[in-house]
Amino acid sequence: MSPEYQEGDFVVIMKSPFLFRQLSRGDIIVFNHDNYGTLIKIIESVLPGGEFFVRGTQENSLNSRRLGYIPRSAVKGKVIWHIRKPKSRL
Amino acid sequence: MFYKILDSLDKKYNIEHAQAHCDVPCGIYDPAPAQIAALTVVRMMDLMAGLQGGDDKGKTDYHNSMSRYIAVKEEHAEKAKHEIRVIWGDYFKKDKHPNVDDLVQKIMQLGSKCRQTADRESGLAFVEAINEFASIFWETKGVATKRAKAPYAPALEMVYPNL
Repeated sequence: MSPEYQEGDFVVIMKSPFLFRQLSRGDIIVFNHDNYGTLIKIIESVLPGGEFFVRGTQENSLNSRRLGYIPRSAVKGKVIWHIRKPKSRL
Repeated sequence: MFYKILDSLDKKYNIEHAQAHCDVPCGIYDPAPAQIAALTVVRMMDLMAGLQGGDDKGKTDYHNSMSRYIAVKEEHAEKAKHEIRVIWGDYFKKDKHPNVDDLVQKIMQLGSKCRQTADRESGLAFVEAINEFASIFWETKGVATKRAKAPYAPALEMVYPNL
């Protein structure tokens, strides 16, 4: 999801966002993918069955066309805080 | 300051990592693998149709060969679908190529039909739909294409880039 999320950034996720409100379009989630491991993506849309169509913010980033729809059970949490790695001062 | 604290905690406790990129955007796309896979599907259909049964030994050989043809047909139909999905999902932009969606859906359905049956007409339609996809792909690259028969069985007409 470059350039929003860069190598070395930290995120804090809420593991029970469902207690507060349903995940919806625009939310950034961390989820497990069988082939790609743990990923961060934006929810593009929520399907009637509850799965998520996700995308990255970078043009060439993979989206759900290739990743497949993300089941709710694969979601580890919703990003609530993004701590960027400070830019090095040369 | 806060970042330094988190960084120290990460080094000490190895906080779980998540990937934002998850792929190398290499930009290398080519419909050729999908075209060859689709051609292989038709080739397997032809081999299946031409296979003859016989005595007991023949039957064993028959089943052995038929199983292999079917397995290869399955594998290559799925491979062709996968290759098309990758180009469609990672290369084509919806706003620039809205008509590709319908063609890709058609390819997916024909690929499934080729797996479910040994219908040669479906195989030919599969090859042709992927040829059409290849034409659109090369057009986006500004590369002209030509149609020529593949120099190997089943010698169907294929779309090739004029590079």
